[in-house]
Amino acid sequence: MVKKISFLILSIAILVFGIIAFSKLSYWDRSVRIFKYSSNTPFESRMDRGLEGRESFVRPEMRELSDSMRAGFETREGRPGPGMRERNIPDSLRQQFRTRNGEQMGRGRFEGGIRNGEGRGRGEFPEGRKISIRNMKWFLAVFAFFTVIAIYIDKAICLIRKRYRTSD
Amino acid sequence: MNIIKFFLSLFITIAMLLLMDPRSFYGLAFHEWAGLIIGIFFILHKILNWKWIKKVTVGFFRNCPGRARFNYVLDVLLLAGITLMIISGIAIARTIDFSWLNLGGSRAFWRVMHTSSSFLTLALFGIHLGLHWNWVLQRLHIKKVKNGKEN
Repeated sequence: MVKKISFLILSIAILVFGIIAFSKLSYWDRSVRIFKYSSNTPFESRMDRGLEGRESFVRPEMRELSDSMRAGFETREGRPGPGMRERNIPDSLRQQFRTRNGEQMGRGRFEGGIRNGEGRGRGEFPEGRKISIRNMKWFLAVFAFFTVIAIYIDKAICLIRKRYRTSD
Repeated sequence: MNIIKFFLSLFITIAMLLLMDPRSFYGLAFHEWAGLIIGIFFILHKILNWKWIKKVTVGFFRNCPGRARFNYVLDVLLLAGITLMIISGIAIARTIDFSWLNLGGSRAFWRVMHTSSSFLTLALFGIHLGLHWNWVLQRLHIKKVKNGKEN
Protein backbone atom coordinates (compact mmCIF):
# COMPACT_ATOMS: atom_id res chain seq x y z
CA MET A 1 0.00 0.00 0.00
CA VAL A 2 2.81 2.39 0.96
CA LYS A 3 4.52 1.58 -2.31
CA LYS A 4 1.36 2.36 -4.26
CA ILE A 5 0.80 5.67 -2.48
CA SER A 6 4.41 6.75 -2.96
CA PHE A 7 4.14 5.92 -6.68
CA LEU A 8 0.93 7.92 -6.88
CA ILE A 9 2.56 10.94 -5.21
CA LEU A 10 5.55 10.66 -7.55
CA SER A 11 3.20 10.48 -10.55
CA ILE A 12 1.30 13.57 -9.40
CA ALA A 13 4.59 15.43 -8.94
CA ILE A 14 5.67 14.43 -12.45
CA LEU A 15 2.34 15.59 -13.86
CA VAL A 16 2.55 18.96 -12.10
CA PHE A 17 6.16 19.48 -13.18
CA GLY A 18 5.15 18.42 -16.69
CA ILE A 19 2.36 20.98 -16.84
CA ILE A 20 4.74 23.74 -15.68
CA ALA A 21 7.27 22.64 -18.32
CA PHE A 22 4.49 22.58 -20.90
CA SER A 23 3.72 26.25 -20.37
CA LYS A 24 7.36 27.21 -19.89
CA LEU A 25 8.36 25.76 -23.26
CA SER A 26 5.06 26.83 -24.92
CA TYR A 27 5.02 23.22 -25.96
CA TRP A 28 1.61 23.14 -27.59
CA ASP A 29 2.16 26.30 -29.66
CA ARG A 30 5.51 25.10 -30.91
CA SER A 31 4.19 21.62 -31.65
CA VAL A 32 1.32 22.77 -33.84
CA ARG A 33 3.13 25.73 -35.41
CA ILE A 34 3.78 23.74 -38.57
CA PHE A 35 0.04 23.32 -39.15
CA LYS A 36 -0.48 27.06 -38.86
CA TYR A 37 2.50 27.90 -41.02
CA SER A 38 1.92 29.88 -44.17
CA SER A 39 4.69 31.12 -46.44
CA ASN A 40 3.31 34.69 -46.23
CA THR A 41 3.73 34.88 -42.47
CA PRO A 42 6.98 36.58 -41.57
CA PHE A 43 9.17 34.29 -39.56
CA GLU A 44 10.47 35.94 -36.45
CA SER A 45 13.43 33.98 -35.32
CA ARG A 46 16.53 35.75 -34.09
CA MET A 47 18.48 34.58 -37.06
CA ASP A 48 16.03 35.52 -39.79
CA ARG A 49 15.24 38.89 -38.23
CA GLY A 50 18.89 39.67 -38.58
CA LEU A 51 19.26 38.57 -42.17
CA GLU A 52 15.98 38.74 -44.02
CA GLY A 53 14.30 41.53 -42.12
CA ARG A 54 17.18 43.90 -42.76
CA GLU A 55 16.09 45.00 -46.21
CA SER A 56 12.76 46.41 -45.14
CA PHE A 57 14.10 47.98 -41.98
CA VAL A 58 14.00 51.78 -41.76
CA ARG A 59 15.75 53.48 -38.88
CA PRO A 60 13.40 55.51 -36.66
CA GLU A 61 15.31 58.72 -37.37
CA MET A 62 14.86 58.19 -41.10
CA ARG A 63 11.13 57.73 -40.73
CA GLU A 64 10.83 61.26 -39.42
CA LEU A 65 12.52 62.81 -42.43
CA SER A 66 10.70 63.94 -45.55
CA ASP A 67 10.75 61.58 -48.54
CA SER A 68 13.11 63.72 -50.56
CA MET A 69 15.60 64.00 -47.74
CA ARG A 70 15.41 60.30 -47.02
CA ALA A 71 15.99 59.51 -50.68
CA GLY A 72 19.17 61.51 -50.43
CA PHE A 73 20.40 59.33 -47.61
CA GLU A 74 19.49 56.09 -49.23
CA THR A 75 22.09 54.69 -51.48
CA ARG A 76 22.30 51.21 -52.92
CA GLU A 77 19.56 48.65 -52.25
CA GLY A 78 17.46 51.16 -50.41
CA ARG A 79 19.68 51.11 -47.38
CA PRO A 80 20.91 54.14 -45.49
CA GLY A 81 24.30 55.40 -46.54
CA PRO A 82 27.54 54.83 -44.68
CA GLY A 83 27.52 57.90 -42.47
CA MET A 84 26.29 61.41 -41.82
CA ARG A 85 29.61 63.19 -42.01
CA GLU A 86 29.89 63.29 -45.77
CA ARG A 87 26.27 64.36 -46.31
CA ASN A 88 25.11 67.83 -47.03
CA ILE A 89 22.56 68.28 -44.26
CA PRO A 90 21.81 71.13 -41.91
CA ASP A 91 23.90 71.29 -38.73
CA SER A 92 20.82 71.15 -36.51
CA LEU A 93 19.73 67.88 -38.04
CA ARG A 94 23.24 66.48 -37.83
CA GLN A 95 23.30 67.41 -34.14
CA GLN A 96 19.93 65.71 -33.62
CA PHE A 97 21.23 62.46 -35.14
CA ARG A 98 24.39 62.62 -33.10
CA THR A 99 22.63 63.03 -29.75
CA ARG A 100 20.04 60.34 -30.48
CA ASN A 101 22.43 57.73 -31.63
CA GLY A 102 25.12 58.48 -29.11
CA GLU A 103 28.00 56.16 -29.56
CA GLN A 104 26.27 54.42 -32.47
CA MET A 105 27.48 57.19 -34.76
CA GLY A 106 31.04 56.21 -34.28
CA ARG A 107 30.46 52.50 -34.09
CA GLY A 108 32.43 50.36 -36.44
CA ARG A 109 31.56 47.13 -38.18
CA PHE A 110 29.13 44.71 -36.54
CA GLU A 111 31.30 42.50 -34.41
CA GLY A 112 28.97 39.58 -33.97
CA GLY A 113 29.69 38.13 -37.36
CA ILE A 114 27.30 36.23 -39.55
CA ARG A 115 26.11 32.69 -39.07
CA ASN A 116 28.20 30.93 -41.65
CA GLY A 117 31.23 32.95 -40.83
CA GLU A 118 33.56 32.57 -37.93
CA GLY A 119 31.06 34.21 -35.58
CA ARG A 120 29.22 32.44 -32.82
CA GLY A 121 26.02 30.87 -34.15
CA ARG A 122 22.91 29.73 -32.36
CA GLY A 123 23.67 26.99 -29.94
CA GLU A 124 27.36 27.60 -29.75
CA PHE A 125 29.10 28.80 -26.66
CA PRO A 126 31.91 31.16 -25.97
CA GLU A 127 35.14 29.34 -25.46
CA GLY A 128 35.48 27.67 -22.11
CA ARG A 129 31.77 27.10 -21.51
CA LYS A 130 30.88 23.85 -23.16
CA ILE A 131 28.17 21.98 -21.34
CA SER A 132 24.77 23.41 -20.56
CA ILE A 133 21.76 21.25 -19.89
CA ARG A 134 19.57 23.92 -18.34
CA ASN A 135 16.61 23.35 -20.67
CA MET A 136 16.90 19.60 -20.59
CA LYS A 137 15.02 19.32 -17.32
CA TRP A 138 11.94 20.90 -18.90
CA PHE A 139 12.02 18.51 -21.82
CA LEU A 140 12.54 15.63 -19.42
CA ALA A 141 9.51 16.83 -17.47
CA VAL A 142 7.34 16.88 -20.60
CA PHE A 143 8.64 13.47 -21.64
CA ALA A 144 7.91 12.02 -18.19
CA PHE A 145 4.48 13.69 -18.27
CA PHE A 146 3.50 11.83 -21.44
CA THR A 147 4.99 8.59 -20.11
CA VAL A 148 2.99 8.77 -16.86
CA ILE A 149 -0.22 9.61 -18.73
CA ALA A 150 0.33 6.67 -21.09
CA ILE A 151 1.04 4.30 -18.18
CA TYR A 152 -2.14 5.23 -16.32
CA ILE A 153 -4.36 5.25 -19.42
CA ASP A 154 -2.95 1.82 -20.34
CA LYS A 155 -3.64 0.55 -16.83
CA ALA A 156 -7.16 1.96 -16.87
CA ILE A 157 -7.92 0.32 -20.23
CA CYS A 158 -6.56 -3.03 -18.98
CA LEU A 159 -8.71 -2.76 -15.85
CA ILE A 160 -11.85 -1.95 -17.83
CA ARG A 161 -11.21 -4.89 -20.17
CA LYS A 162 -10.70 -7.23 -17.24
CA ARG A 163 -13.99 -6.15 -15.69
CA TYR A 164 -15.78 -6.66 -18.99
CA ARG A 165 -14.34 -10.16 -19.26
CA THR A 166 -15.29 -11.13 -15.70
CA SER A 167 -18.82 -9.77 -16.13
CA ASP A 168 -19.24 -11.81 -19.34
CA MET B 1 19.11 -9.63 -26.85
CA ASN B 2 16.72 -7.90 -24.47
CA ILE B 3 19.61 -6.28 -22.62
CA ILE B 4 20.91 -4.81 -25.90
CA LYS B 5 17.41 -3.57 -26.71
CA PHE B 6 17.11 -2.03 -23.27
CA PHE B 7 20.40 -0.16 -23.37
CA LEU B 8 19.82 0.93 -26.94
CA SER B 9 16.41 2.34 -25.97
CA LEU B 10 17.92 4.04 -22.94
CA PHE B 11 20.64 5.57 -25.08
CA ILE B 12 18.13 6.82 -27.67
CA THR B 13 15.97 8.36 -24.92
CA ILE B 14 18.88 10.22 -23.30
CA ALA B 15 20.23 11.35 -26.67
CA MET B 16 16.78 12.54 -27.73
CA LEU B 17 16.43 14.61 -24.56
CA LEU B 18 19.89 16.12 -25.00
CA LEU B 19 19.09 16.95 -28.60
CA MET B 20 15.90 18.81 -27.74
CA ASP B 21 17.83 21.96 -27.01
CA PRO B 22 20.51 22.83 -29.59
CA ARG B 23 22.29 24.88 -26.93
CA SER B 24 22.61 21.94 -24.62
CA PHE B 25 25.70 19.81 -24.28
CA TYR B 26 28.40 20.53 -26.85
CA GLY B 27 26.51 23.07 -28.94
CA LEU B 28 25.30 23.04 -32.49
CA ALA B 29 27.96 20.76 -33.96
CA PHE B 30 27.09 18.06 -31.44
CA HIS B 31 23.38 18.66 -32.06
CA GLU B 32 23.73 18.11 -35.79
CA TRP B 33 26.05 15.11 -35.73
CA ALA B 34 24.20 13.38 -32.89
CA GLY B 35 20.91 14.10 -34.67
CA LEU B 36 22.14 12.19 -37.69
CA ILE B 37 23.58 9.35 -35.62
CA ILE B 38 20.38 8.93 -33.59
CA GLY B 39 18.66 8.12 -36.89
CA ILE B 40 21.02 5.15 -37.33
CA PHE B 41 20.30 3.96 -33.79
CA PHE B 42 16.59 4.29 -34.44
CA ILE B 43 16.94 2.04 -37.51
CA LEU B 44 18.93 -0.41 -35.36
CA HIS B 45 16.09 -0.38 -32.83
CA LYS B 46 13.67 -1.29 -35.61
CA ILE B 47 15.95 -4.05 -36.89
CA LEU B 48 16.13 -5.58 -33.41
CA ASN B 49 12.32 -5.63 -33.29
CA TRP B 50 11.93 -6.74 -36.89
CA LYS B 51 10.10 -9.97 -35.93
CA TRP B 52 7.34 -8.03 -34.20
CA ILE B 53 7.09 -5.52 -37.07
CA LYS B 54 6.78 -8.32 -39.62
CA LYS B 55 4.20 -10.18 -37.55
CA VAL B 56 1.97 -7.15 -36.99
CA THR B 57 2.33 -5.90 -40.57
CA VAL B 58 1.14 -9.24 -41.93
CA GLY B 59 -1.75 -9.55 -39.51
CA PHE B 60 -2.67 -5.89 -39.08
CA PHE B 61 -6.11 -6.20 -40.68
CA ARG B 62 -6.71 -9.78 -39.56
CA ASN B 63 -5.95 -11.40 -36.22
CA CYS B 64 -4.00 -8.65 -34.56
CA PRO B 65 -4.79 -7.52 -30.98
CA GLY B 66 -5.91 -3.92 -30.55
CA ARG B 67 -2.96 -3.05 -28.36
CA ALA B 68 -0.44 -4.28 -30.93
CA ARG B 69 -2.31 -2.38 -33.63
CA PHE B 70 -2.19 0.82 -31.60
CA ASN B 71 1.53 0.34 -30.91
CA TYR B 72 2.11 -0.21 -34.61
CA VAL B 73 0.33 3.03 -35.57
CA LEU B 74 2.31 4.87 -32.89
CA ASP B 75 5.55 3.42 -34.23
CA VAL B 76 4.67 4.51 -37.76
CA LEU B 77 4.02 8.04 -36.46
CA LEU B 78 7.33 7.94 -34.60
CA LEU B 79 9.10 6.87 -37.76
CA ALA B 80 7.46 9.72 -39.69
CA GLY B 81 8.38 12.18 -36.93
CA ILE B 82 12.01 11.11 -36.81
CA THR B 83 12.27 11.18 -40.60
CA LEU B 84 10.85 14.72 -40.71
CA MET B 85 13.12 15.76 -37.87
CA ILE B 86 16.23 14.51 -39.67
CA ILE B 87 15.25 15.91 -43.07
CA SER B 88 14.41 19.33 -41.64
CA GLY B 89 17.60 19.20 -39.58
CA ILE B 90 19.58 18.53 -42.73
CA ALA B 91 17.85 21.47 -44.45
CA ILE B 92 18.82 23.93 -41.70
CA ALA B 93 22.21 22.45 -40.80
CA ARG B 94 24.98 24.96 -40.24
CA THR B 95 28.05 23.02 -39.22
CA ILE B 96 27.61 20.23 -41.79
CA ASP B 97 27.28 21.20 -45.43
CA PHE B 98 24.22 19.64 -46.99
CA SER B 99 23.69 22.30 -49.65
CA TRP B 100 24.38 19.70 -52.35
CA LEU B 101 21.12 17.96 -51.42
CA ASN B 102 19.04 20.94 -52.65
CA LEU B 103 16.05 20.21 -50.45
CA GLY B 104 14.24 23.40 -51.48
CA GLY B 105 11.71 25.28 -49.37
CA SER B 106 12.44 28.30 -47.26
CA ARG B 107 14.70 28.15 -44.27
CA ALA B 108 11.85 29.49 -42.10
CA PHE B 109 9.61 26.60 -43.16
CA TRP B 110 12.25 23.98 -42.33
CA ARG B 111 12.95 25.59 -38.97
CA VAL B 112 9.28 25.49 -38.01
CA MET B 113 9.09 21.93 -39.31
CA HIS B 114 12.13 20.92 -37.26
CA THR B 115 10.74 22.40 -34.04
CA SER B 116 7.23 21.03 -34.49
CA SER B 117 8.31 17.55 -35.54
CA SER B 118 10.80 17.26 -32.68
CA PHE B 119 8.25 18.40 -30.10
CA LEU B 120 5.58 16.04 -31.40
CA THR B 121 8.07 13.18 -31.63
CA LEU B 122 9.17 13.71 -28.03
CA ALA B 123 5.54 13.41 -26.94
CA LEU B 124 5.18 10.22 -29.00
CA PHE B 125 8.40 8.90 -27.44
CA GLY B 126 6.89 9.44 -24.00
CA ILE B 127 3.71 7.60 -24.94
CA HIS B 128 5.76 4.80 -26.53
CA LEU B 129 7.73 4.38 -23.31
CA GLY B 130 4.54 4.45 -21.25
CA LEU B 131 3.03 1.65 -23.30
CA HIS B 132 6.21 -0.43 -22.89
CA TRP B 133 6.60 0.37 -19.21
CA ASN B 134 5.97 -3.21 -18.13
CA TRP B 135 8.73 -4.38 -20.46
CA VAL B 136 11.09 -1.82 -18.87
CA LEU B 137 10.15 -3.02 -15.37
CA GLN B 138 10.78 -6.60 -16.45
CA ARG B 139 14.23 -5.67 -17.74
CA LEU B 140 15.00 -3.96 -14.44
CA HIS B 141 13.78 -7.07 -12.58
CA ILE B 142 11.15 -5.00 -10.79
CA LYS B 143 8.34 -6.98 -12.38
CA LYS B 144 8.37 -10.70 -13.05
CA VAL B 145 7.65 -12.16 -16.47
CA LYS B 146 4.31 -14.00 -16.36
CA ASN B 147 4.31 -17.48 -17.96
CA GLY B 148 7.23 -16.58 -20.20
CA LYS B 149 5.06 -13.88 -21.78
CA GLU B 150 6.70 -10.49 -22.22
CA ASN B 151 5.04 -7.16 -22.74
